Amino acid sequence: MRNYDVSIRISGANGDGIDSIGFMIGKSLARNGLYIFGYRGYQSVIRGGSVWYQIRASTEKLYTHGEYIDILISFDLDGIKNSLGFVKGGGIVIYDSKTNGADELAASSKMDINFVKLPLLDSAVKSGGDIYRNTVAFGILSKIVGIKEDFVIKSISDRFKKKPGLVTPNVTAAKIGYELDLGIDTTKFYFGEEGEPKRSYMLSGNEAIAIGAAAAGCKFYAAYPMTPASSILDWFASHENHGILYKQPEDEITAINMTIGAASAGVRAMCGTSGGGFSLMVEGLGLAGILEVPIVVVEAQRSGPSTGLPTKTEQGDLLFVMNASQGEFPRVIIAPRSVEECFYETGAAFNIAEKYQCPVIILSDLFLSEHIESVNIEPERVRIERGKIATEKAGGDFKRYLITEDGVSPRALPGTKGLEFVAPSDDHDEYGNLITDVFVGTPEAVELRRKMHSKRMKKLETMVKNGDIKMPEVVGEGADAYLVTFGSSTYACIEAVGLLKDKGINVGIISFSYLHPMDSEKVEALLSGKRLIDVESNYTAQFARLIRMNTGINIKERILRYDGEAFTGEYLCAEVMKILKG
Amino acid sequence: MYTMQDYKSNVKPIFCPGCGDYGVDASMLKALMELQLDPSNTVIVSGIGCSSSMPHDFKTYGIHGLHGRALPLAEGVRLANTELHVIVAGGDGDGYGIGLNHLIHAIRRNLNITYVVMNNEIYGLTTGQASPTSGMGHITKSTPFGVIERPVNPLSLALAAGATYVARGFSGDPVHLTNLIKNGILHKGFALVDVQSPCVTFNKINTYEWTRKRVYKLEEAGHDPKDFMKAMEKAVEFQLNPEKFPIGLFYEADVPTYEEQEEALKQGPLTKHQLQSIEDVKALLEEHSVL
Repeated sequence: MRNYDVSIRISGANGDGIDSIGFMIGKSLARNGLYIFGYRGYQSVIRGGSVWYQIRASTEKLYTHGEYIDILISFDLDGIKNSLGFVKGGGIVIYDSKTNGADELAASSKMDINFVKLPLLDSAVKSGGDIYRNTVAFGILSKIVGIKEDFVIKSISDRFKKKPGLVTPNVTAAKIGYELDLGIDTTKFYFGEEGEPKRSYMLSGNEAIAIGAAAAGCKFYAAYPMTPASSILDWFASHENHGILYKQPEDEITAINMTIGAASAGVRAMCGTSGGGFSLMVEGLGLAGILEVPIVVVEAQRSGPSTGLPTKTEQGDLLFVMNASQGEFPRVIIAPRSVEECFYETGAAFNIAEKYQCPVIILSDLFLSEHIESVNIEPERVRIERGKIATEKAGGDFKRYLITEDGVSPRALPGTKGLEFVAPSDDHDEYGNLITDVFVGTPEAVELRRKMHSKRMKKLETMVKNGDIKMPEVVGEGADAYLVTFGSSTYACIEAVGLLKDKGINVGIISFSYLHPMDSEKVEALLSGKRLIDVESNYTAQFARLIRMNTGINIKERILRYDGEAFTGEYLCAEVMKILKG
Repeated sequence: MYTMQDYKSNVKPIFCPGCGDYGVDASMLKALMELQLDPSNTVIVSGIGCSSSMPHDFKTYGIHGLHGRALPLAEGVRLANTELHVIVAGGDGDGYGIGLNHLIHAIRRNLNITYVVMNNEIYGLTTGQASPTSGMGHITKSTPFGVIERPVNPLSLALAAGATYVARGFSGDPVHLTNLIKNGILHKGFALVDVQSPCVTFNKINTYEWTRKRVYKLEEAGHDPKDFMKAMEKAVEFQLNPEKFPIGLFYEADVPTYEEQEEALKQGPLTKHQLQSIEDVKALLEEHSVL
């Protein structure tokens, strides 16, 4: 199989059906043995605006949608204008013959780009209406990349299985598109081979989180709608017949408190939101901390502050989730690096939450939550460990908050006879009786507080000692410099390191998925004596500050992106070169 | 047969001598005992405030949560395990102030939960500030020139939101109150029991005497709790005539509960579902197959 790597961007307005065409092209190519990566640029409007969907297909594993585009197909002038700067030399720009001003734009372009004017809208109207324009585009693109016509027809029939009336006009539209003559040589974008799929599924990060939760036995999910976490909600809502209860509450305060209630009653429970909603969950997070209730919270970050850029990515909430809520309590922060990790680490999050009876935060972001990847998933790898659950009365009143060596006390679930206790948000003794109110300040209460708080905090040490907190992954030995990064930014680093290698530059990666707690000594040893470049999506280098706080190591060379766009290999490669050239 | 010892914990209540909440504690105890609820299948959930210390006074399961957030916590418990009796206790600040939003939505949801609100028209635990139910002109620590906001009327509010059980008791009449709580627990759906529960330390207006002077029982006045419009009339009576303070059952309706309609609960309580099915997960993944 020859090397193939093509990025296609479909551009137009919201409501033009752009995402679905991107997805269908990706699926067709994935089926024939290519790796797929899809990402979209969109705005906070339901109709109109200028949006794009970019699908990249390659014979090599993909880590981003690519900074540059081989083929741009645009339904309007804005789409051409906004994306033209990203079209590669030798690339194609296909536009609608009905787009006013496009001819002039094409004529004025000084770049080595093939502009192709095609009757997209006219073909759609011929098929039954202008809404079929995206399917005309699907036909055109399918022909360019070499998807067989009968398979194009099959994928349309599959897609509209539930709306049979739409099959005929869509097939007509696709066929017309397929037959349109571009008048240029497009063979370098032609894949055309039929092969076995390398990956079985195409999933977004959010879908992987949702299915990962289901695989881990999650029975309850509460979430108020908020971009970019909403597609987790969509998944749960449409799968209630699988016995997982999805609750849309009045706000995120309710979401987290309901989740704590459900987890207290004994089910694996999760809530999800973005930074704004997480702000409302903050007090509840501390409640889970002191009640020692296992919950999983998904925080899919978007650009802040406040409403910020609702449809753009950022890693700007790291230190917020790290410090959210008053006082101190054990929490775990996991930032998955890929769609596959979204699946497996969600499973791990439930185990850690239950073993250590504390909140676990899955820190995602718009890029990770919304991009799609072709992946393999093995659900058998998700093992359930529920930690210490008391099942019978040990004699005498039940000590729910028993002071133990490892900090974990056996918990009782309501319904268990003889283990009744009260879980209080006030600090308490081993039985759950308050040490506030009338006792606070007495020598016994002072001693109890010291012991109880130490017991809770001890859990952080225990989970590190038990090996439940994964160390960062190191790529490249003896490299001239290492990109230090976390979560979703890892992917672009992998791509950049490959590009740098082609230029003879040896750069490695140290990437973290488990951010807190941190095994400070081991991480310090790992980072020491290396040239380090911090890579993250925020202005204040929050991760570098976290590293410094834990290890004392100050990573001074930094690549920070906070314009809302995701890192790509090309972008990072250029930035790393700037730093290395000094 | 459960006896008083099976319900009553050895924790000494934190209430001031003479506090109305003693009466509510006693009525709750009696209601649980008369209904013979299994203590291990009963969860009392509360927020923050004097009255929210109630779970500690009982030997059932309990969660003493955040200020204003008792209802969401309790809803989570109930949604997870529909075999549990879920009772929520709190005060007027907790339920009608910081947590009012949750009350309206809990009513809409109509989960099988009993909510007992000890309403003393004052913030007691923070030493005497105005509450959302403090009357106009009430001079408190936070309103030295008197309250100038109209009080929340929890009963008419609950009725307007679609509540299926709306009652008001008086902690000075624990026998009557016991019945309201008992019937609230037996009621299918969300039950609101507002309790006039005087704060003897910080509220010198809405005292036992003040209440006794105005209180009368709806059942003795021939009120029909199935009649929504009449219930609304009774709910606003005190607003129109400050000398009349009706207690008893204002309204009760038989409406499907959330649990009865929830798709995910058709296979029984979530706590009893099979925890993991690899086959099911494979089927879920197949929806995303590239083939």
